[in-house]
Amino acid sequence: MIQELFIAALLFFGAGFVLPLAVRSDRRIVRTASYACTILASVLLGIPAIAVLLGSGTVIFPAYAPAGLFSIAFVIDRLAAFFLLLIAVVSACVALYAIEYSEHLDGGSRRNLLCGCTSLFILAMVLVVASANTLSFFFFWELMAAASFFLVMYEYDQPATSRAGIFYFIMTHLSTVFVMLGIILLWLGSGSFALDHLADTPSYLATGSFLALFTGFAIKSGIIPFHKWLPYAHPASPSPISALMSAVMLKVAVYGLLRFLLDVFSPELWWGALILVFGTASAVLGVIYALKEHDLKAMLAYSSIENIGIIFMGIGLYIVLGTAGLPFLATIALLGALFHSLNHALFKSLLFLTAGSVIHATHTRDIEHMGGLVHRMPKTGALFCTGALAIAALPPLNGFASELLLFIAFFESVTVVEPLVKVFLFLCLALFALTSALSAACFVKAFGSVFLGMPRSPESAGAHEVPALMLAGPGILAAACVVLGLFAFQVLTIAGFTIPVMPDIFLIGLLLLMMLVLTYAVAFFASPRTSRVSGTWGCGTHFQEAGTEYSGHGFSEPLDIIFSPLYRTRIRNERTFFDEHGAIFKSGTAEIRLLRVFEEYLYLPVARQFYRIAGAVAKIQNNCLDTYMLYVFVTILTLLVFLGWSA
Amino acid sequence: MIESAFVAGLVRVLFVCIIITAVYIISARNLLSIVSVYAVQSLTLVVIALLLYLLEGAPVLIAIAAITFASKVLIIPYFIATIQEKIRIKRDIQFHFLSPTSSLFVSMGLMLLVYIVLERVMAATGDRDNLFFFGAVLGISLMLMGMMVTFSRKRALTKILGFLSMENGVLLFGLFVTELPFIIEFLIVIDLIILVLLTTILTVGLDSTLEDYHKRLHRFHLWEDEVEVR
Repeated sequence: MIQELFIAALLFFGAGFVLPLAVRSDRRIVRTASYACTILASVLLGIPAIAVLLGSGTVIFPAYAPAGLFSIAFVIDRLAAFFLLLIAVVSACVALYAIEYSEHLDGGSRRNLLCGCTSLFILAMVLVVASANTLSFFFFWELMAAASFFLVMYEYDQPATSRAGIFYFIMTHLSTVFVMLGIILLWLGSGSFALDHLADTPSYLATGSFLALFTGFAIKSGIIPFHKWLPYAHPASPSPISALMSAVMLKVAVYGLLRFLLDVFSPELWWGALILVFGTASAVLGVIYALKEHDLKAMLAYSSIENIGIIFMGIGLYIVLGTAGLPFLATIALLGALFHSLNHALFKSLLFLTAGSVIHATHTRDIEHMGGLVHRMPKTGALFCTGALAIAALPPLNGFASELLLFIAFFESVTVVEPLVKVFLFLCLALFALTSALSAACFVKAFGSVFLGMPRSPESAGAHEVPALMLAGPGILAAACVVLGLFAFQVLTIAGFTIPVMPDIFLIGLLLLMMLVLTYAVAFFASPRTSRVSGTWGCGTHFQEAGTEYSGHGFSEPLDIIFSPLYRTRIRNERTFFDEHGAIFKSGTAEIRLLRVFEEYLYLPVARQFYRIAGAVAKIQNNCLDTYMLYVFVTILTLLVFLGWSA
Repeated sequence: MIESAFVAGLVRVLFVCIIITAVYIISARNLLSIVSVYAVQSLTLVVIALLLYLLEGAPVLIAIAAITFASKVLIIPYFIATIQEKIRIKRDIQFHFLSPTSSLFVSMGLMLLVYIVLERVMAATGDRDNLFFFGAVLGISLMLMGMMVTFSRKRALTKILGFLSMENGVLLFGLFVTELPFIIEFLIVIDLIILVLLTTILTVGLDSTLEDYHKRLHRFHLWEDEVEVR
């Protein structure tokens, strides 16, 4: 039954891909049918995923082997089922949202391509997760990269989009190269493409393979310093695509790392430490960059880097604790990482979809040009607020539950491990706590700037609430955020994990609600009965304009000052003078901008070196027949010499 | 019946002739004489084929000799010579990568290299007839020398002669080493291609360099994808 449902889901995804490409006409019904196929496929996918997750046993599909060693095979175990469920839920909601959203896009029949490729993209991700050997994993991994590239390039005529697309293309293929390298090293070690435990492989091969795979997955999931494609690609692509990429595709990379770590390798302590260090750096730096960002979608992209960092911290902690002989705490850490993956998928897609609605209504991504939207788009505002509360890890929402698991693992472990590891873990814990606080600040700023206060642009003033379908998808996600938060304890128990140190968040929620009621009751009965009307954040003035209000920049200014060593600016100042002593000013240009550290000190130097090598190689091809004849001549001579030498 | 040792001696003399012609094609600057030398080289090959027939008695050698004589001694040189009378440029003094003198040194090195390599290869496969060994060495060397002409000369005509001389090398190698019936068919195909090539180039491009040739085709409206501007 599970097999049939899974295959039916694949077929419907396929139909969602083929239909809009086969019927080229620019009609709404075609796109709606395609999205309907995607939604149906997601629902069909969700059922077997839940069944396997709740313990109906691993499902193995017969392998399709066209040529001996090169076989395509699928298997759904509990880990795969978990990620399939994640894909199914987010895909269904995103497709529901995209039905209406894609009708408001420019591009005519290109929109057919958008919904077709969306289906293909989801299908590829499903197949990556279900792959039973490294070959099919790699094949569908590449399919996923290609499909997502086309989706990012939807508005290819915009210069920013084509730049982002090329950046993404290079980074995603760099990731593919590393994954391929890792798989080849594995094959050298074990002689098979199966995802089995490495038994007697030389340790240098296993280590090399791990490092290559880790780099590949880190690039794909946007771990710092490989993160730079995220803040370019997410703003450039349509919002449902940003939601899918951020919520699901990054998780597929996490899945890849987990699959190899759990099933193939026997991790060592330093592997865990490495993952933990990269995770912590990404979490802290991601949220610090997010604070400084004023492009709504770029901010969400940086926040994704932060959350992926948190997930990597969980994975790293799992390995560190596992090798330190603390299996129970290790399991809690891993559970935290997995639960946070699901939660991040839910609230990040919710935030990207509602951000898409806001951008659709205001025609800008700059949060400084928004404001006052809570009165114009109240439902979108409420949904965004739910997402923001969840991502800020406030109880009783789901972000809190998963971060709590990680905090429990950290707190319980720092007392039992050896001193050096203790110091290291304590450092990570401190930075993790900082991340959580900063992330709350970041989303207070985001919600405040976008929805509160007065509108700071005419578009913002004239914004309207989006149609019901564009609220339904995010609505489901928001409900899931609340349910998974309130009933986190029960959900984990049903999944078979009982964690005694974890509190029942439903009780906490009730407690919080009671406190809220109590506080308001006290305020209501104890406050004077005179009322005063003034604008929000207006310091009590009677006449207020949008320009005098507290802005997003203003809100983050104190944090800017604290982290000023990280926000290094570059000042450029060029002046020309009428006289040679530089006394009479003629003209000049000046610029102060944020230093793009990774871009200017890491990416560009590497790119320049490659450019130079490519230039040297290009000289070989000089469009002259005589030169090519010379190459042939030299080749024949070389072959002759080789023949004589080997004879 | 002529004694086989005498015939073998004659073939050796003809080998020397072929080397001389090859050297001349590499180093000469006068276009007309290169064509004549090519005809002489082909004639030498015809004679070698006939002498081999005396040694081995395979009738296919006669056929090769006849085809070679007709195409390479008569038709192709005649074609080129006819056109050459009509164009003004008689000398080829533009070179790429190698000057004639250095080409000579390189070809000496080439022959030595081929000799050493083949000696090692043949030693591995067992003893072979001395004459056939030299034929093979010379065939490959001639091929490589022809190739050298194709990339070191700039004029299209000399390039073609280089190619033809390369093909002579293939024929020579085929005469001594490879299975014959297959090679005949192969040669005929190549010859046909060369003929087609020649007849197209002959009309406009023979005195030009290859870079100029494209422009010329455009000027005379012989290039198909050209958009007519009125």
